[in-house]
Amino acid sequence: MSRMAPLDLDEIKDPEIHELLAECEEFGVPDALFVRIFARKPDQLKGMLRAMLASHRDGNIDHKLKEIIRIQLARFAEDPYFSALRSKKAIAAGLTEEMIEIGCEDYEDSDLFSEREKVALRYAEQMFLDATKVDKIFYDEMHAHFSDAEIMELGSFIALFHGVHMVMRTLDARPLAAA
Amino acid sequence: MRYVETISTDPDSFDDEAWDDLRKHLSEDEIVELGMFLFMNLGFHTFFGTLKFYPMFAPDGRLVSQAESERLYGATPESLQGAAE
Repeated sequence: MSRMAPLDLDEIKDPEIHELLAECEEFGVPDALFVRIFARKPDQLKGMLRAMLASHRDGNIDHKLKEIIRIQLARFAEDPYFSALRSKKAIAAGLTEEMIEIGCEDYEDSDLFSEREKVALRYAEQMFLDATKVDKIFYDEMHAHFSDAEIMELGSFIALFHGVHMVMRTLDARPLAAA
Repeated sequence: MRYVETISTDPDSFDDEAWDDLRKHLSEDEIVELGMFLFMNLGFHTFFGTLKFYPMFAPDGRLVSQAESERLYGATPESLQGAAE
């Protein structure tokens, strides 16, 4: 059980939050628990959920790759809640647990991932393990595979979800489906 | 401030005792507000740091080049006092 209890659904009066909650449930990340905890601050939450959905669900980077990166980051942060969630969009597109495991652990030597995907996985890994390695040489290598817009999309996605995971970890929460 | 520092530097030490300490001083609404503020701040500063860009304006309001801004603000600005001098 989370250190902070979720609100009951009828305590959430803002209809826009209910609409966003339905979007989240359809997508899978986050689930209703996150929404019901953070609905204590409705205006902040609405902006945050829109940013999370736009950053993760939408955009031009392959969604399966983003979902692997998100899980990789959640594991780095040791956040059990976001580590256990899965994007239904990514699963429907063919993402498997085997791909997630290899993507989080042994992607460098795997044939499952292209060099472009490996650079993206390395980018997320280094950003929060040793950001000094994400230097001009690293960005030059990224530019061989990604446009400026794609690098901004990826970097913002990584930055946002790192922050979300680190805070969520302190709540010691678990997904509703597994609770 | 202790909460922010712990999340950033030693998250393993954030336990039930630390949570109880936080709850003594902040309401659930305030913790949620602080948490969502941190969503945006914990990761973005690291990301921006890798991009090596600096503020467009000096502390006295002048539009400055990135080279001058880097000189003014430095890699780890602890205080802006006297930065424009």
